[in-house]
Amino acid sequence: MGVTRRRFLTMAGVSAMGAVIFGGCRVPDREVLIQSPARLPEDLVTGIDNWYASTCHQCPAGCGILVRVMEGRAKKIEGNPDHPLNHDPVLHMSKTCARGQAGVQLLYHPDRIQGPMRRDRATGELLPISWEEARAELVGRLRELRDRGASDTVLVVTEPLRGHLGLLAREFVKAYGGQHMAFEALEETVLREAVKRVFDQDRLPDLDLANAEYVISFGSGFLETWLSPVRYGVAYGHLRQGREAKRGYFVQVEPRLSATGANADDWVYVKPGMEGLLALSMAYVIVSQGLGDQEASRLLTRGQGAQYLAAYRPQDVAGAIGTTPEKIEELALDFAAKRPSLAIGGGSAAAHTNGLFNLTAIYSLNYLVGSVGQRGGILFNPAPPVAGLPVAEGRVPFDRWQELTGRLASGKPRPVNLVVFRGANPVHSLPQALGFADALKNVPFIVSFSTMMDETAAMADLILPEHTYLEDWGDDLPEPGPGYEVVSYQQPVVRPFHNTHSFGDELIMVAKELGGSLAQAMPWNSFKEVLQAGARKLFELNRGSVTAPDFDSFWRGVLQRGGWWDTARRGLARPLPKPLPVREDPQFTAGEYHLLPFASISLTEGRGAALPWLQATPDPMTTAVWQTWAEISLEDARKLGVSEGDFLEITSSNGTSLEAPAYPNPAAPPGIIAMPLGQGHSSLGRYAENRGVNTFMLLQPATEKETKALAWAATRVTVRNTGRRSRISKFEGSVRVEALHEVEIVRVTKG
Amino acid sequence: MVQERPKHKWTMVVDIDRCSGCQACVVACQAENNITINEQRDFLQRRAKEWIRIERYWEAIDPSKPAEFPNVKARFIPIMCQQCDNAPCEPVCPVYATYHNNEGLNVQVYNRCVGTRYCANNCPYQVRFFNFWEPVWPESLRNQLNPDVTVRSRGIMEKCTFCVQRLSRARRTIEGRRGKRITDESMTEENLMPACVMACPTGALVFGDREDPKSRVNELLKEHDPRQAKSVAARGYRVLEDLTTEPNVVYLKKVDPHLKKVKAHA
Repeated sequence: MGVTRRRFLTMAGVSAMGAVIFGGCRVPDREVLIQSPARLPEDLVTGIDNWYASTCHQCPAGCGILVRVMEGRAKKIEGNPDHPLNHDPVLHMSKTCARGQAGVQLLYHPDRIQGPMRRDRATGELLPISWEEARAELVGRLRELRDRGASDTVLVVTEPLRGHLGLLAREFVKAYGGQHMAFEALEETVLREAVKRVFDQDRLPDLDLANAEYVISFGSGFLETWLSPVRYGVAYGHLRQGREAKRGYFVQVEPRLSATGANADDWVYVKPGMEGLLALSMAYVIVSQGLGDQEASRLLTRGQGAQYLAAYRPQDVAGAIGTTPEKIEELALDFAAKRPSLAIGGGSAAAHTNGLFNLTAIYSLNYLVGSVGQRGGILFNPAPPVAGLPVAEGRVPFDRWQELTGRLASGKPRPVNLVVFRGANPVHSLPQALGFADALKNVPFIVSFSTMMDETAAMADLILPEHTYLEDWGDDLPEPGPGYEVVSYQQPVVRPFHNTHSFGDELIMVAKELGGSLAQAMPWNSFKEVLQAGARKLFELNRGSVTAPDFDSFWRGVLQRGGWWDTARRGLARPLPKPLPVREDPQFTAGEYHLLPFASISLTEGRGAALPWLQATPDPMTTAVWQTWAEISLEDARKLGVSEGDFLEITSSNGTSLEAPAYPNPAAPPGIIAMPLGQGHSSLGRYAENRGVNTFMLLQPATEKETKALAWAATRVTVRNTGRRSRISKFEGSVRVEALHEVEIVRVTKG
Repeated sequence: MVQERPKHKWTMVVDIDRCSGCQACVVACQAENNITINEQRDFLQRRAKEWIRIERYWEAIDPSKPAEFPNVKARFIPIMCQQCDNAPCEPVCPVYATYHNNEGLNVQVYNRCVGTRYCANNCPYQVRFFNFWEPVWPESLRNQLNPDVTVRSRGIMEKCTFCVQRLSRARRTIEGRRGKRITDESMTEENLMPACVMACPTGALVFGDREDPKSRVNELLKEHDPRQAKSVAARGYRVLEDLTTEPNVVYLKKVDPHLKKVKAHA
């Protein structure tokens, strides 16, 4: 007999009553004690919690997490103390960031897509259908296109895929004959190319900030969203106070004071796009004074010494850079003397038409001080432990999206008949001037695997919602890794909350139903099987953090620990210095002000905008929340007669125009308008929709000269005071702080 | 038989030289403590609740000139309830909803609170937050709520508790079930350090027991607390110390290598 809930309660009630009757003869012992009447319910609840190791998917860093699950519901995310990427070796805990913490809100988001849907042709409405119907529709269309010999008109657009999901997508697209493109809004194409040219490396290196004595960062927001911010945050703590009687010095060089720059001992202004020239000038000082490593100085200058760099004498270039010759000299001398020293660059320094020049010049500096492959410098990552596992499957630079837009719009050379989107939202995050959204309307059939109804999914004809990362299997190769081999595992920590499926599983199912060579190429039954087949290769290596007598124990082991790593397998490359690049200046369009978009610390380029915790996370510098604002210097604000909250009309050189309230920022340099990315969603659930403006819309579709990546910091704008105003919602001023600092006095007058 | 509980004195040390202002602690706190969603209107009405917040100060590099580019720098400081031993919020509560427990915590008893807001008015650190509305979450988001933490209803005052639910869990599991002392290690291992401390990437927030001689807070205080250390390198201070509130949160000053050059506080 099954005990129903009602019956169970009835039985419980009966026995409780019995206890009262028979226990009534004397006062129970525990009632003699006077219970503290101040006991909070916090003292009373004793639920049992389970902790599952997994991998965070809120940004591409790939940190290890532990998820606290109570009664089948995910409650809280902490760092996985075992995981090498976000581990603090001194405190024995692993760390997380604001975005990682908010993962549970994605899982339980009220506006998640709850099941598959198909657009009704007559009404244009999305109507719920079953998974079988949805898959049959997709398979039917793929089969029809393949039979017509038009399989090359099928396009799969994803985020850059890593690990076995990347492998699966590669197999699928190859066997079907379609095309795969991975979209990355703030692409790291330039950095990858620079690392390849300077260090001959295919994988991004690890930055040993923790053991450096001197760090100079050119535009890289490594304490905000750049690459692996939690790892760098942990290292930054050690740089400052992790060593006995030694405190690392940190210089940030950039055209606007970022939250990362706010932490610098010395913040140096540089004109947008002039970071590389500053690096060359520093190299001149170091080489001409003989302070650099001899061999490196010789190789970097083609054996010509300071002569090779004679055009970059501080007194000659300081004006172009926007600083003083003394400052350049000071930076160069400190960088050469306070070893181990480390020069890193990225962010806006890479996002100019001369981005590759900037980054190659910056990273080459590390050779001069012997920091390449050394403690406190640049450490390299080894190749993945299993050959062929992708770290960024399908990643393409911005010009390919330009090309695709042209193809979508004209149908030439070949039309696109079907697009599948997964984890990518190019409709929001490509510059409006490109016309991607309009061109996409020409595609007869669009399929989306999105978890949330984002702008791209809103255009889809068929929606097959996938699990969130907390409900799905997966693996990941953190990029950049921690300097040694790591494969991180992701497991479902709760049962699917809605009627969603795994993207990997669906690829396999679709391949099976399509049959033929595709089914042969993908012989598995589920994505978990693919992962296990991959894990078996790790098991057979019989080394690293998990070794076991049999595969089942090995599999349990990697899931318990959240991954597999081998600290003995490090990247040991010893690349040789190559000649320093020759000066290249950035190119801008006309416009009075320089527009510097920046990734919001909580929303990044927009993926976090759906989550209310992240919307309510104050921007570190302005404390602004829930909206977009435009930072303007006090000088320009006076010139335009603008005060906080006045709406500015910002018009890009390509004619697109947005309005955003002004935030006169005391640290903003004149001539620069800085705006956060991430808002301006027309579709992404109740917390994101119709809020702020989409800064991507303003961008000029300019590309970096060689890599053809989007030069997102190369747009110029004009600014006009509209005369309208509203209050900026921000945390500053929310609490009365007259005791802590001077409070602004508001005079209330009549009328 | 009444067993005597081991003594604790909970203390937080905040190293501002490590803090990067990244807001991880702020979101971690909201995730752990069932704080209602701070909507845009809450910010506009200045009623947003952040038990821990990052304050950002603009400072002039050369104080004789205005703090404007390029003569300006920004500073971050995390502020949460300072768990004062001599708390100004406690004596003004007419119903004893806020009282001091024997572990150094300033405790808010929600079911005593009648919402006079005297305590918030009297708190020099402005870390007490009032529930002006009934707490509301969309149905599905309620699945995330932490069952160890009470949801505060309208008219109730709330504030940082040093994650008292985690401390009681530590008492139950580590002291109670296993009969061991609560140490830095055992709390870390069981994920029972306060949520902000667990998240803080730079390790700026350090939490521990001052009754445990081996705890990290004790080590840091020995080195930095001006009441214990006489070294010139001691960086410790308490916020608004001259009010004699005796906070249990000790801050370690930011190191600014350029400060001497301009004689900022001459």
